Amino acid sequence: MGGQQDHERTRFLSLTSLALVALAGCGSEGTGGESPSTSGSEGRKILRVAYEREIDVLNAFTSQNLVDIAFSMVEGLVTANENNEYIPVLAKEIPTLENGLIVMNEDGTVDMTWHLREGVRWHDGEPLTSEDVCFTWSFVTGEGSQTYNRHEYLGIIDCFMPDDLTVVFRWDGVYGYYAGLFEAVLPEHILGGKTVDEIVNYVPYNRGPEIIGTGPFKFVEWKSGEYIRVVRNDDYWRGAEYPRIDEIVWSFIPDSNTRMNAMTGGQYHYGRLEPTQVVEVEGVEGYEIHLVSSNTFMHFDLSVNLERGRTLFSDPVVRRAIFHAIDRKAIADQLMQGTVTIADTPINPTSPYHNPNVFGLEFDPPRTRRMLDEAGWFPGPDGVREKGGERFSFVMLNRAGSADRIAIAQVIQAQLKEVGIEVTFETLESAAWTQKWRSGEWEGIVSAWFLPADPSITGLYACDGPNNMTGLCHPELDEAMERSDRTFSFAERKPLLDEAQELLALTARSLPIYYNVVPELVSTRIGNYRGSGTNFGSFWNLWEWTLR
Amino acid sequence: MISYIGRRILQMIPLVFGISVVLFAVIQAAPGGPEGALLESGRFIDPQVIEAYRQRLGVDQPVHIQYVRWLGAALSGDLGISFSTTRPVAEMILDRLPATVELMASAFLLAALVALGLGVFSAVRQYSLFDYLGTGFSFVGIAMPVFWFALILQLIFSVKLGWLPVSGTETVGASSLLDHLLHLILPAVVLSFRYIAGWSRYLRSSLLGVLRADYVRTARAKGLPERVVVGIHALRNALIPLISIMALNMAALFSGAVITETVFAWPGIGRMFVQAMFARDYPLLMGILMMGSIMVVVFNLVADILYGILDPRIRYE
Repeated sequence: MGGQQDHERTRFLSLTSLALVALAGCGSEGTGGESPSTSGSEGRKILRVAYEREIDVLNAFTSQNLVDIAFSMVEGLVTANENNEYIPVLAKEIPTLENGLIVMNEDGTVDMTWHLREGVRWHDGEPLTSEDVCFTWSFVTGEGSQTYNRHEYLGIIDCFMPDDLTVVFRWDGVYGYYAGLFEAVLPEHILGGKTVDEIVNYVPYNRGPEIIGTGPFKFVEWKSGEYIRVVRNDDYWRGAEYPRIDEIVWSFIPDSNTRMNAMTGGQYHYGRLEPTQVVEVEGVEGYEIHLVSSNTFMHFDLSVNLERGRTLFSDPVVRRAIFHAIDRKAIADQLMQGTVTIADTPINPTSPYHNPNVFGLEFDPPRTRRMLDEAGWFPGPDGVREKGGERFSFVMLNRAGSADRIAIAQVIQAQLKEVGIEVTFETLESAAWTQKWRSGEWEGIVSAWFLPADPSITGLYACDGPNNMTGLCHPELDEAMERSDRTFSFAERKPLLDEAQELLALTARSLPIYYNVVPELVSTRIGNYRGSGTNFGSFWNLWEWTLR
Repeated sequence: MISYIGRRILQMIPLVFGISVVLFAVIQAAPGGPEGALLESGRFIDPQVIEAYRQRLGVDQPVHIQYVRWLGAALSGDLGISFSTTRPVAEMILDRLPATVELMASAFLLAALVALGLGVFSAVRQYSLFDYLGTGFSFVGIAMPVFWFALILQLIFSVKLGWLPVSGTETVGASSLLDHLLHLILPAVVLSFRYIAGWSRYLRSSLLGVLRADYVRTARAKGLPERVVVGIHALRNALIPLISIMALNMAALFSGAVITETVFAWPGIGRMFVQAMFARDYPLLMGILMMGSIMVVVFNLVADILYGILDPRIRYE
């Protein structure tokens, strides 16, 4: 009876779908395929962005979301371009040993001088000074600032202000990642005098109207659940010709299908889509699809924190054998429809620190079988390998709702079954999954890390790295990574990180699968778009965007 | 009647208190915590930052202590501060309430009008082609997945025909009353569909029962026109069960429609609830759920009172 009902219901839905889709096909006069008009009611150039979520707060240091909206208003000493390179914004140049702005002191401390640009003003007309930069440092390093990379700022032990436009940071040693800090600067004249906790909870700055910066756009309005609106900063320091857009509206459209419909319906100029939606928007008139390689990389990890994990995965040969059984090309080409690039190392190929000579383990199931045989794991009566009475069976921790990760886990499960390894699933809702993942009490997992433009990977893979949840430890790798963090020189850092990437592959610490791709549907009316996969996102150069 | 209402209101107090205990316990029992939001982005996080965050929010305390704190503040009218946005919960709810009420009220009105027509005609012309079509329509409405229906309507009326906007409540920078109403059409239609289906079925069966009653036969025998028999004599009694159902559904007016609001990017309570749930924003979750619960309790009472008013046979002592 139920089956009959299901059948009828399915049939009815199919027929209705067909009828509705046929009706949809009849329309020919629609706006679909045209990007929206650029002008508002007063002939202003309004950039309309279909944004994938409502952000939490606009404070770039306390937000837990991508802060690209805030970066349209708030600037820092540096930003990262589409090539994963830091470039100066409020700073005249980035300090290096070569330009003399980094001085090594005899006591092992380091003085780093940042010269600020002249003539930069906050949106309320106040001048930007070194006091703002030192204030930002004191906030970020304060207890409870919630800044995700606060620990990276803790190496700065003092901040000096020789004059209004010069800041000197004194570091307690050499930290290679220094150039990526201070992505934003906070206004001391607005937030000064408040405690760290008060700033974290200061709603007028978190949501406007007191959110001010030095950037090309000024805050106007945040309509809860709907949009954030910013307008041109007529007093922008880059000159009167910038920015070239009058207004930006970031509309929050969390559902990816709605976002796609809204884009193809011509309501927005820019929107991020899902990789699986790429085929549906190819050829839409008035738009171009850009597959922006993200600094996020998908990877498959094995943990030795639990007893079973230690039994199964402690031997690097066994880990290599497992990784040989996984067809990453099929995952990239079929699951992700060829939109992603296979990853061999955690560092994105757009970064100058990427090691192109490291290759991931190729798909070779016969080799897996051979290696497992040699390691003493032989097929048991049910086909699952055994050794000393222990079955080669482990649990994969999946995050509910992450369709891509679950699909990858299913491929891994099927392919490992072929070589005599049993994988079962434990699927948890997002927050619960995250908690268990951070605890390290799992056996196998597919997850993704988002790296900033700086290539430091120590926190991920060092034996005591705060984000090493696998329990795996290789002192040789630690040494290469730690040394790479302790130099200011690209020439010194590059070979050390090359070595670290090689060691990562050799020790089979993790199986990088692919670099995530963010498909961005961009109106052809937009000029100077340079898609970027860093934490600044593709809006990093908004000041020069144009809109026809 | 007044003493009955007073008694019911007094009974609500322990009921609402009990609900708050259960809700708080269930929310806290869900694995994971608000620190999950810190880790969602996949960035490296210093574990000390996570611990400091938990301490700041007070979620490192035992659950009963957290509950007592929440209850104490709630009794004085303070629903707390949202973990994710740092804004007062009451302010956030009030911010979103108008959009939710507007959407739900439009959908209710539309559904009531259509369901009334469908239900009456289906009953009066039982087993006619119209009745079969109405019945079919109702089953479609009940069975149709909301997200699918919403996307199909977007595809037809927004992407292909270009008549209506896909999402949101206004075209920012070019908004007007007409623009706003155009934005309202699709979500209101989608949301009303389910109610139309359910209500028209209730009305049809209720009216069919009434139309066979003796007093209706008497009315007809007296030579009253069919319009008066159905419209005045039968419909009033047939509406009684429907009105109680509608009154119960009214509670949803204030708690929003999760899927419709999400698909149409409508800035209502339902969408905020989803965000709060994923972020484990306990104060915001409690605020929304308690408001929804109180509405259900209140509209239950309203339904009972309406029963008494509409049906003279029911008297409350």
